[in-house]
Amino acid sequence: MSGIGNATATVTIRVKRFAPRPERPNRHASSALRKSASPFGSTRKRPRGKQWSQEYTLRIHPHDTVLDCLLTIKRTLDPTLAFRYSCGHGMCGSDAVAVNGTPTLLCTARVSDYAKQLPHNAHNDGFRRTATVNASAAAHDFATSNGSAIEATENASTNSASAIDVNAAESTAASTQSAPDLGIIELAPLPGFPVQRDLIADIDPMLDQIKRLQPYLQADGKLATTREGKVDVFEYLQKPEQLAKYELLSNCIACGVCEGSCPVFAGGEAFIGPAALVMASRFLNDSRDNAAQQRLDAIDTADGIAACQSVRACGRQCPRGIDVGEEMWQLTTAVRER
Amino acid sequence: MTELDSLLPLAALQIDQPAFLASVGMAFGGRDEGHALVLQQCTLAFRAAEGESGSERAVAEDHTMTGNDTRLRIGMQGISDDARIAGVASQGRHLAISRHLAHRNAADDIVDTTAEGFAHDPIIGHRLENAMPVRTRRAKRARTRGRPAPRVLPCARIEGMSPEHVEEMYDAIIVGAGAAGLSAALGLLRSPAIQTARENGAEPKILVISKLQPLRSHTGSAEGGIAASLGNVEHDDWHWHYYDTVKGGDWLVDQDAAQVLAQYAPETVINLERSGAAFSRTADGHIAQRRFGGHTADFGHAPIRRAAYSADRVGHQILFALWQQCVANGVEFAEEWVVTDLVLNESKGAVRGIVAFDTHTGDVHALHARTVLLATGGAGRLFHTTTNSWDLTGDGMALVLEAGLQLEDMEFIQFHPTGLAHSGILLSEAVRSEGGVLRNARGEAFMQHYAPEHGDLAARDVVSRAIIDQVEQGLGVPDPKDPDGPHDCVWLDMTGIPTEHMQQSLPQVLETIRTYADLDPSRDYVPIKPTAHYTMGGIPISLDGEVYRWHEGTRGIVQGLYAAGECSCVSVHGANRLGGNSLLDACLFGNRAGAAIARKITQPITGEGDAAISDAFVNAEANNANEDLVSVSAERRRADVQQLLSQSVNSSDSRDGLLSGHNAEINTANEATDAGTTAMPSDSHDSDDNSTNNSADNLDDNPYELMSELGEAMERALAVRCDAHSIATARTWLRNVASSRAQALRSHASAAAFNQELTAIWEARHLTTLADVVLRASDARHESRGSLYRTDFTERDDEHYLAHSMTAADEDVLWQPVHILDMPPQARTY
Repeated sequence: MSGIGNATATVTIRVKRFAPRPERPNRHASSALRKSASPFGSTRKRPRGKQWSQEYTLRIHPHDTVLDCLLTIKRTLDPTLAFRYSCGHGMCGSDAVAVNGTPTLLCTARVSDYAKQLPHNAHNDGFRRTATVNASAAAHDFATSNGSAIEATENASTNSASAIDVNAAESTAASTQSAPDLGIIELAPLPGFPVQRDLIADIDPMLDQIKRLQPYLQADGKLATTREGKVDVFEYLQKPEQLAKYELLSNCIACGVCEGSCPVFAGGEAFIGPAALVMASRFLNDSRDNAAQQRLDAIDTADGIAACQSVRACGRQCPRGIDVGEEMWQLTTAVRER
Repeated sequence: MTELDSLLPLAALQIDQPAFLASVGMAFGGRDEGHALVLQQCTLAFRAAEGESGSERAVAEDHTMTGNDTRLRIGMQGISDDARIAGVASQGRHLAISRHLAHRNAADDIVDTTAEGFAHDPIIGHRLENAMPVRTRRAKRARTRGRPAPRVLPCARIEGMSPEHVEEMYDAIIVGAGAAGLSAALGLLRSPAIQTARENGAEPKILVISKLQPLRSHTGSAEGGIAASLGNVEHDDWHWHYYDTVKGGDWLVDQDAAQVLAQYAPETVINLERSGAAFSRTADGHIAQRRFGGHTADFGHAPIRRAAYSADRVGHQILFALWQQCVANGVEFAEEWVVTDLVLNESKGAVRGIVAFDTHTGDVHALHARTVLLATGGAGRLFHTTTNSWDLTGDGMALVLEAGLQLEDMEFIQFHPTGLAHSGILLSEAVRSEGGVLRNARGEAFMQHYAPEHGDLAARDVVSRAIIDQVEQGLGVPDPKDPDGPHDCVWLDMTGIPTEHMQQSLPQVLETIRTYADLDPSRDYVPIKPTAHYTMGGIPISLDGEVYRWHEGTRGIVQGLYAAGECSCVSVHGANRLGGNSLLDACLFGNRAGAAIARKITQPITGEGDAAISDAFVNAEANNANEDLVSVSAERRRADVQQLLSQSVNSSDSRDGLLSGHNAEINTANEATDAGTTAMPSDSHDSDDNSTNNSADNLDDNPYELMSELGEAMERALAVRCDAHSIATARTWLRNVASSRAQALRSHASAAAFNQELTAIWEARHLTTLADVVLRASDARHESRGSLYRTDFTERDDEHYLAHSMTAADEDVLWQPVHILDMPPQARTY
């Protein structure tokens, strides 16, 4: 830990950017009529605009988060870069994006965990990069072009801790001008949602789906009032073991990482999505709630729990540690056994 | 009847296509003058369920839509693709939107007003459009789902106001969607007056506007607890809570307000629980409570367990429960809108409305309102090291200043003692409540010297000052992440807390330390330093949340303007807030303000007791269109936006030019990325961006840089301690440098939609406005009290300063006496 010292390194952030084209004024009229209706029911128009990829290279501490990098970019390089962020420590759920293709939160993604060496100018679109071959090729490219050490860069992609150490060592050896290079981090908006600008995605579909499942406690609905310093109604009783059944689920911050990870959800309408179902499950498991039957009915639809294909990608990156896939399975069982 | 009857059955006919996803676009609108009926264009997206099993549902009660009411006031949000609605269509072959449905905002009914949708099914849309009655015309469209559809004005008020002049009118606009804003919305809707009105079919037009999506509000980051004398763990009495609050605030607390706070705290917490918040529990199922700094039994005798908690995520639980209840109550949100102006009448005696900027479209809206509640949270971003989110830029406070009103007690800013070193991220007071100990470089538990009785759980300002004192004695430690850096931290020793217990009661803290410090608190000491946490002062309000102006020794209420939460100052926190009282303040006084608004808006407009409001309408909105101050402000703001965008600096031209020149335009987000990426000459761009060291040369000023420098200047001037010199230095910089820079800021992109820099420019202006008031208020108070510690006036001075500072933007500081009921000032010792 103390070995990190004041080490800095450089990292390149490659951002998939998007700028919407201003809406055309006459869009209600004739142009609309020319398009044919889709039998598959996609009613969401893809946003029009220009898309490009932009790279920013900056000096950071390997322990910094990707959000730190983007904030530095906004402040020192490019104030036009757009991305949602708020609390900066993983509680607000605003900053879910795809980091190297993996949906996660910007503010919990450490540079040292995600930076990787890639070929700088090869865009093998259509081909998935495989770790071994390309990693060394990338490292080689970088070594020749940037003068960085291969071992440092290779480590960066496999083992963050040792990479830091190597980098720290490098930084003393290298001139002050060239800090060790950690490689590149690729950022794209959260998959499964329409992009609005740069890394900002339209997550309203998720919120709408959450709302469809009546995401609120349904009990007697009475509220307490105070008379002469005394309340007339007390809290609902709930034993710690009853709380334990849904406490983790109630920690969901609706960031959308599970949805962005779900291959069925992609595209939006075929599946109500894991976030809405987690919220439903949170109430199904809450001993205070008495709408269990309606809740089960509500998710027992073609686009409800039945659409879940048990891929279980949803739970892997959950910032709250919810095993979303297991939760989906529990719901499937609950609906079936009803 | 109305157009509805002729139109909607047609829609139903088209919808009834089982096994297909049929979408229907409609674009129509118009006004039935007798009934002020306006239908906005909308998209109906339907899905017929397989085998129509949806019809088995109890849709009849809830969703059968017959019998159009001609008094329909459409607040239509759109239509979902819920199978149950398709079931209705197939059952009755009719889909007419009844008042019943139209008034439901629950998203499972009708939820989609995208204009986009129209284009998707042109055939049906075409027919529908053709089916429109001739006299209807296309109404201004509602932009996207979840955004407010332009509403109908009640007939009584629409007369004399041309719609193009008055874009919208609301009964209540709530600005901010954290604990205070959402509590206010619920307090409003749950109030008896509104419930009666709703049952009679009169729907109050309420809009909650927030800069963020509501679930992102910073309330969600509150960790430790919410104080209430529930007595679930040990015997408690609200009088003790009242006493602790007054003492904690160093007797600058208005005691009538603190009484309300303590007395209604149990009700508030119980109702949060009954709204769904998942509080931690005692073994017998009651809400569990823990110790919190400054909370005592029997008027200061011994620490007491008073803070209801939810592991260490009580804020998240409260925020979500409140939002969920708002969903249940059909609250309408305008998300990611920035309120840019608060509009009062000329005498500053009544509110007229607000101007809001929709960050999605870049549109500026003039929103008239009978009542406006500001609940925008604190201003932690005045400081570089803060627990506050990036969005807490004191917007509501600055709006009030810009409208010519005052702020109260702005010199009191709480520094939380345990911010994770250099990140400022909050490590909850619960850590010390669960057994964490502060240690200096020698490993001594130094709090015993400063507050023998309470030790590490003394009030926050006491602990923060103790830490600074230790650092100044040379007993500080450096952040291990930066071992050569300044020794300005101390250790938080959590190793005494059993690991399992730590995991159970402090999971969030543990995670924060692991993620952001890379330390294992069960083994390592954790570096902490004081971090800006809470603004005790704010917009002065009465016990009902009404904003007032202190003028010639009295409180002059601004009719229709309310505030709640951290941005407000009902003065329950005085000079220093106790832990657990902020969520309580926000929820309790938010709720009260909501109830007060309900009483206000259910009064008849022309009622005699409401002269100011009716005056406003008669004088400006109705009779003389030129005096519609809201629209005037909106026009001014549109010009401001234009200026910020059009003058957008050389670098913007070059930048935009560079990008558009080299990038193929593509139609969809999902294809042809290849074109985008390769067309970008990454080499030339890299060489541009690689020069990070002299980036300042490439780029002129921007709001992010300015806010960063402002935070550092304020931190040097005021953090934990200050004196006349430090204040003067900061004021000079503010006056000579920051103000002009704030005014000179321009956007680097030329589009208004999703232009975060525009928002940031307004935030930077807000912060500079606010910073000056904070500095002036600090300068005016020649004493040390609570969180304000002046090294040049180290004693409390009740003779001169047992008073609230009232500071407006360009006026001298005024002083308002503290309300003292039954607790005369005493020494505040712990």
